[in-house]
Amino acid sequence: MFPTCPIFIQVGSAASGRKRILVMAERQKGLFLVLPAVIIMGVFTVYPLLNSLWMAFTDNNLLGSSVEFVGLDNFARLLSDDVFWLSLYHSIVLTVVVVLLQFGLGLILAWAMQQKLPGMGAFKSIIMASWVIPVAATVTMFKFMAQPDVGFINIVLRTIGFQDANIYWFGNRAAAFPFIMLLHLWRNVPFYGIAFLAAMQAIPRSYYEAAEIDGADAWSKFVHITLPGIRSMIIVMVTIHVLWTFNNFDFVYLSTGGGPVNASDVLPVYVYRQSWDRYDLGYAASIGAVMLILLMIYFVVYMRLYERRETTP
Amino acid sequence: MTRSRRKALTAVLAYLVVISSLIYFILPMLWIVYTSFRTQASIFTGRVISPLNEYTLVNYATILSVTDFPAYFQNSIVIAAAVTLSSLFVSITAAYGLSRFDIKGKNALIVGIFATQMFPQVLLIIPMYLVIFSLSLLDKVIGVVLGQLILVLPFQVWMLKGYFDNIPTELDEAARIDGCGIPQRLLYVILPVAAPGIMVAAFFSFVVSWGDYLIVSIISQSQRTATITLVMQRLSASLLVRWGDLAAVTVLTIVPTIILFSFVQNRLVEGLTAGAVREE
Repeated sequence: MFPTCPIFIQVGSAASGRKRILVMAERQKGLFLVLPAVIIMGVFTVYPLLNSLWMAFTDNNLLGSSVEFVGLDNFARLLSDDVFWLSLYHSIVLTVVVVLLQFGLGLILAWAMQQKLPGMGAFKSIIMASWVIPVAATVTMFKFMAQPDVGFINIVLRTIGFQDANIYWFGNRAAAFPFIMLLHLWRNVPFYGIAFLAAMQAIPRSYYEAAEIDGADAWSKFVHITLPGIRSMIIVMVTIHVLWTFNNFDFVYLSTGGGPVNASDVLPVYVYRQSWDRYDLGYAASIGAVMLILLMIYFVVYMRLYERRETTP
Repeated sequence: MTRSRRKALTAVLAYLVVISSLIYFILPMLWIVYTSFRTQASIFTGRVISPLNEYTLVNYATILSVTDFPAYFQNSIVIAAAVTLSSLFVSITAAYGLSRFDIKGKNALIVGIFATQMFPQVLLIIPMYLVIFSLSLLDKVIGVVLGQLILVLPFQVWMLKGYFDNIPTELDEAARIDGCGIPQRLLYVILPVAAPGIMVAAFFSFVVSWGDYLIVSIISQSQRTATITLVMQRLSASLLVRWGDLAAVTVLTIVPTIILFSFVQNRLVEGLTAGAVREE
């Protein structure tokens, strides 16, 4: 399709005078490279976003005939919608608890994997498997383990002495939500562990050796060398997981659907039910808009804190 | 505490972490694999170990011959392959453009691409459904593929741009001076060097598409485009779940991702976080 390059590449053969002119001429071509991505994301991300923000101010309903502008009616309805407030509460609790636990457990896991011990290599190579399998498969596995009678969890509980253990854990009002947190942890903690480990291994050994000469104990080495050393990895992992956890739809939807009786409802699932069970697109869009606003607030506050930290040594 | 005792204590604690991790993260997968080889009756005894004659391949035989599972599996393969190939083309070109060219409004574009990660997908799919409907692509493979691209592209572009940024510009600069156009530079200079990162990007899009439920659930309307995730959900939501069959479905859904994972596992984190970590 393309002719092969006529040359062997010689690093550093660039003539800087010619370079600038060529860069100018190629600027247009660079635009063409970005164009497919811009078009696809424009049509399927930016346009839908703007459209749904507009929709939040209408009574758009797939079952209705005409679409009317209704101003802030949808948002007024939100204020008195108990399920919305409950879902909002659950979403925030889920995100905070899950991300904090993932962070802490990920650090512990990374610490363990850093030890040079027999078998650790094999352990490292299999542990991230939970991250790559489909969420639907994860949910099925855990649903099966949570079954009454045949479920592994109840079997184990009965074996160790709780003879009456026989509930369906996802169907229990008190247990369903914590169980969904366990699913999030199951999927992501190994990813945190491996990511933190990679960052830890990039810290020069000499830092630790110098600290040892100064008589630093394990804890102060961890606080003063390891944590600052993996700081940028922590920031990336926490940022993307706050977004991914808050926006996550499939764990709750596939495992409990938000039930029993809203006990595990979160905002994304509520939006989905409003739009695809009740076809109330306008109302669903207004809930989605609230989610977006909350994430933007998080992002702005986070960036402020981050920048302040950067400027004050 | 003496040095050797501290070392021993460290090893004990580390192995404790390893063992509890294996129980929590790996055992559930082994359990579903184990279940897939048991008869329905054996599963319902509620016992962990069964007599040898209760282990069987009948669950696999059932889902492969009696049910429509093979058709759904094929749909999943076709869709995930299409998403992987198209997203690679789009994200490699975009990441190369953003990494090497002086495009007007580039920084805004980069921030904008990352910011789309913030958009709740459940919000986006409402108008996206209407777009795909008006393009007459509902219940078409290409409709599902277009929808899933938005799940993959932002992260993939961001990640590959980070990867390309770490490749010395002298490489393609030299090729350009010697008369290579953009496609040649990309194909013969950048791609070979960036191959590990591109493998991770390919893996990422395959896995996201393979595991997607959200997009498929609204765009697929029939067996023509239904994927295994949809089927799994339907099976596990039915009143009387046949756990043996469902376990076999789950295992066959997991296996392709694990096989692909084994090819990239050493590079996975390095690739996924390339957008975040600069080698400077």
